[in-house]
Amino acid sequence: MIAAQRHHPIQILFKIGRLIRNSVFIFLVLFVFQGDNSSLYVVYGRYAFFLFFLWFLVSSVLTWLTTTYALDDQRFYLRRGIFSKTDQSIPFSKVQNINRHTSFAHRLLGLTSIRFETGIAGEDASVKFEVVTQNEAARLETAVQEQKESLVSEVRTNVDRADAAPETERVIRKSQEERVIHFQPTRRDLLKASMTSFSFLLLVPLLASLYYNVSEFFGLEERLDGIGAILVSSPWFIILAVGLMVLASFVFGIIHSFIKYGKYKISSDSQRVYIQKGVLSEAAFSIAKERVQAIEITQTFTKRILGLAEVKLISAGSLSMGPEDMSISSLYPFLPKKRAYTLVSELLPGYRIQEDMKRLPRRALWIRLLVPSWLWIIATAVLIYFQPEFLGIENTWWIASSILLAFVFISRVLDFLHTRYCLNDELIQLKNGGFTSTLFVTKREKIVEVEITQNRIQRKFGLSSFQTVTRARPIHTSYLKDVPDSMASTFSHWYRGRMKEVEMDTAN
Amino acid sequence: MNDFNAAPRHSLSPNAINYWRREELISNLIAFVVLAVLFYLDWRFDWYNWIGWILIGLAIIFLIGLVWSVLSPPLTFKSWRYDLDEEFLHLQFGIWNRTEQLVPMTKIQAVSLTQGPLMRKYKLASLSVETMGSSHAIPALPKETAAELRERIAHFAKIKEVEQ
Repeated sequence: MIAAQRHHPIQILFKIGRLIRNSVFIFLVLFVFQGDNSSLYVVYGRYAFFLFFLWFLVSSVLTWLTTTYALDDQRFYLRRGIFSKTDQSIPFSKVQNINRHTSFAHRLLGLTSIRFETGIAGEDASVKFEVVTQNEAARLETAVQEQKESLVSEVRTNVDRADAAPETERVIRKSQEERVIHFQPTRRDLLKASMTSFSFLLLVPLLASLYYNVSEFFGLEERLDGIGAILVSSPWFIILAVGLMVLASFVFGIIHSFIKYGKYKISSDSQRVYIQKGVLSEAAFSIAKERVQAIEITQTFTKRILGLAEVKLISAGSLSMGPEDMSISSLYPFLPKKRAYTLVSELLPGYRIQEDMKRLPRRALWIRLLVPSWLWIIATAVLIYFQPEFLGIENTWWIASSILLAFVFISRVLDFLHTRYCLNDELIQLKNGGFTSTLFVTKREKIVEVEITQNRIQRKFGLSSFQTVTRARPIHTSYLKDVPDSMASTFSHWYRGRMKEVEMDTAN
Repeated sequence: MNDFNAAPRHSLSPNAINYWRREELISNLIAFVVLAVLFYLDWRFDWYNWIGWILIGLAIIFLIGLVWSVLSPPLTFKSWRYDLDEEFLHLQFGIWNRTEQLVPMTKIQAVSLTQGPLMRKYKLASLSVETMGSSHAIPALPKETAAELRERIAHFAKIKEVEQ
């Protein structure tokens, strides 16, 4: 076991930096805007601010001094706490996925942050290193990964005793380390992404909020009134202004998506899948292939029109990287649909998505149209009660109510049309959704439990519903409604066969 | 191992019907007393009109619940089935909506047996099983059966899959 060591000292600076960023506003109010105010509130407010700052400084130094970590070839040993000490040891085998995030500040200093997400419930679900050097992060990551690889080869030899040479196997795997790059967005992909994500619409609210923030301090309105008067004076000026605005929006949208989705890289080696992204600040995510619990392929309405899809890997560990917009929950949100399917089977052996799936029987549509829509009933009741007049139209309530009803029906019909299912060896594919459709694919060994339900109406029609539960944070349930009874029993039969694939832990 | 897709074989203890009836009787009595007190207070202190209407509504719901509590125990008893082998726990229940659950033994993390004072009188116990995502309960089993099932589930659940 290696001696325990402290986290990188720069961590204190990062903490203080974050505090300063968060308290700028309070600071401005206390010392600048109310600078010459000597009322009791403000004076005591300043003392409180100083005290808080001081306490924060001392506590971050103390926290740094008392928090240590160590690792051997099996587990992390964490120790923390100023007064009451907490000792924790987390085996590498519990790590589900590894997230690395390098903010712009990290990059300037050649540092990074890394998190090992476990499937453990509760607060201590992840082993976090907020600030580490690149080298240390790499050392930690390889330690965790190597343990896993040796575990895999051990299991292999247990299962297949004829192959009694785990050492050579490990050496071979080492040399296979080169990663294969599967996907990197081209410029065309990025342009498409900027259109589908509607990021060009972001400029207007951004400008508006900027305007309101600035005009609180300066009298912008009078100055802008002058400009407004010039604009309105000629139709050409209006056209020019609108044209400039639209152009600026598109440029902004394109820059936004280049920064967000540029430098995206999906790669894999024999053991793991790696996703990297980000231009200014970087995020990287890696997961062992056998830890992928399921796959979800989502198509929103606009993406369906453009033939794009988003592929998500479902892991039992958390995927988010903190408050920033840097969480990697999907492979790439704007993959062409065909490419999405092939990518999945390239990355994850055993996942061959079958495109022709079974549809629901016609009677399932009737049953769905017959079921009362609570949303519509409640909305109509509210509309009748308040009798609102929208744009001076007296009969708003029944117009709004019928529009809503039409929407409910369209969504149900679309849901019926989108719903498909397929049992393909050990894979199950479930697709449903109205305006946004989702295809869920998993292996039966990953399904934790199943449930088949049937209400009275379904019994009359000979239909059933079923749902599957898989590990995720939080637990992921996927369902399929109104399948023929025979399919429901095929499904439970299929699920009972899972013992064929499951490997038993012989160590116990 | 059982026949595939066969309905689970075992049913709950026949005592369950009487136990549920007794339990319902007690909770109905409490509800009745609370409602009666509210009605008396309403009449005595002349509360707002709408409170009276709400109380009448509650009384109607109470009456429906009363009828249902008499009718439902035999139906619930008939609808409940369970089964287990070394691989799966199989539950089936529900009067209106029939639910069938299939839980692999290896995914069970905890089994527990609970017995309230009224259950003890009828020599019943309920068995609950916790998995990663949810918990399932078999209500109102004979005490000895429940204890035996707990041991069997605990034994089967000890065999672990390679966690992935």
